[in-house]
Amino acid sequence: MIYLDSAATTLQKPPQVARATAWAINHLASPGRGGHAAAMAAANTAFACRQAAAELFHLSDPEQVVFTFNATHGLNIAMKTLVRPGSTVVVSGYEHNAVTRPLHAIPNVTVRVAASPLFDRDGAVAAFRRAITPEVSAVICCHVSNVFGFILPVEDIARLCRERQVPLIVDASQSAGCVPVDMEALGAAFIAMPGHKGLYGPQGTGLLLCGDTLPQPLLEGGTGSASLVQSMPDFLPDRLEAGTHNVAGIAGLLAGLNFVRRRGVEHIGRREGALIRRFGQELETIPGITVFRARDPQAQAGVLSFQMEGMDCEELGERLGRQGIAVRAGLHCAPLAHQTAGTLERGTVRVSVSAFNQPQELRVLANRLRQLRRSGCANG
Amino acid sequence: MLYYLIICRSLTYAQRTAAALGRAGISAYLFRTPRQIAGEGCSHCVKIRQRDLEDALAVLRRADLFPKRVFLAQDGGGYQEVGL
Repeated sequence: MIYLDSAATTLQKPPQVARATAWAINHLASPGRGGHAAAMAAANTAFACRQAAAELFHLSDPEQVVFTFNATHGLNIAMKTLVRPGSTVVVSGYEHNAVTRPLHAIPNVTVRVAASPLFDRDGAVAAFRRAITPEVSAVICCHVSNVFGFILPVEDIARLCRERQVPLIVDASQSAGCVPVDMEALGAAFIAMPGHKGLYGPQGTGLLLCGDTLPQPLLEGGTGSASLVQSMPDFLPDRLEAGTHNVAGIAGLLAGLNFVRRRGVEHIGRREGALIRRFGQELETIPGITVFRARDPQAQAGVLSFQMEGMDCEELGERLGRQGIAVRAGLHCAPLAHQTAGTLERGTVRVSVSAFNQPQELRVLANRLRQLRRSGCANG
Repeated sequence: MLYYLIICRSLTYAQRTAAALGRAGISAYLFRTPRQIAGEGCSHCVKIRQRDLEDALAVLRRADLFPKRVFLAQDGGGYQEVGL
């Protein structure tokens, strides 16, 4: 199979991820839940994972690295900490349902969309500058659009937030591991990310990087600390980590993080960006295909959307799947992004790469699409 | 034999404490806090040699790590809290 759906989950992982996960299942118990060797070994693995993440994302304190089930989990914690009923929040025009649905669930929240044209980084900053007014209680922004790969200028948006003293939540779902994410430089209140995409960990892992705000727990329960006190601890990471950890997942995530650190975020990002750029250029030579591609290489990560004239995107995705090419079609759980880009009605087919994809794989896809167009399948 | 126990608010804090001490060349052993001195319930502590306390506290201050409590302990039990 040619796997080009890494924006959903990276399927090809470094082999050490599976080895670490399998080893953990048989050797690691619960961190903080015993003083025996298996519990302490689990604690060491969890701590090593926090340290690796703290170094990669520039946090001075590994306690501010919280394990979550996925990015959605972390985003929920962040939003439910900062957004009260009746609040006004600003979001980018490219947010995922992981942001918009939790906001919708908080009563009477006004969601102000800082909409800007696709791949227009200056336009995005200008839109946020207009939207962040004194009544705004939080800004939530994805770093990279999961549909179009648009790299939003979060550094500039973070600067605006700092100037106006509005807390910022960054959704780093598509950037962690391939675009530098610097918690210290951004000064964000929270940065949420999955472990199973660009960090190459197993599904069911995620990280929430926490700034100075004391977060509200989504779950209450045992933490292995201060057990006589019935309220949740007021310190991290325990406050947000009730119940048994996904230790096998954390062990795999540690292996994934180490892979990313060894290879280098910039190197991975440059390579993925180049793969997608070349693929986009090739697609543009095929009549009847609309490619959503940035002219500025700094504005697009390893994710690209396209549409084929005369063919429904889901049908095309299905057809490619039957031919052994895994892509994602439809709205990608991000109707707001499609609305902003004008693709809500038809959706798109999304191609997303990882550190393991080869140029040849994208050439195969381009050739299949060319054949489809030539054979006239796209018309019926 | 006498030694000191540095009580930490959480496992992760105890791990940071032990790591900071280890980096400074101070032998530190992390384990669960004895029930008698655990205060609010389960916690973790770091054991150091009696002679290392002063250096250890200086290292922790430099690392912005603040022990919750410190006890002088002896093998087999008996704990005496140390004022910080």
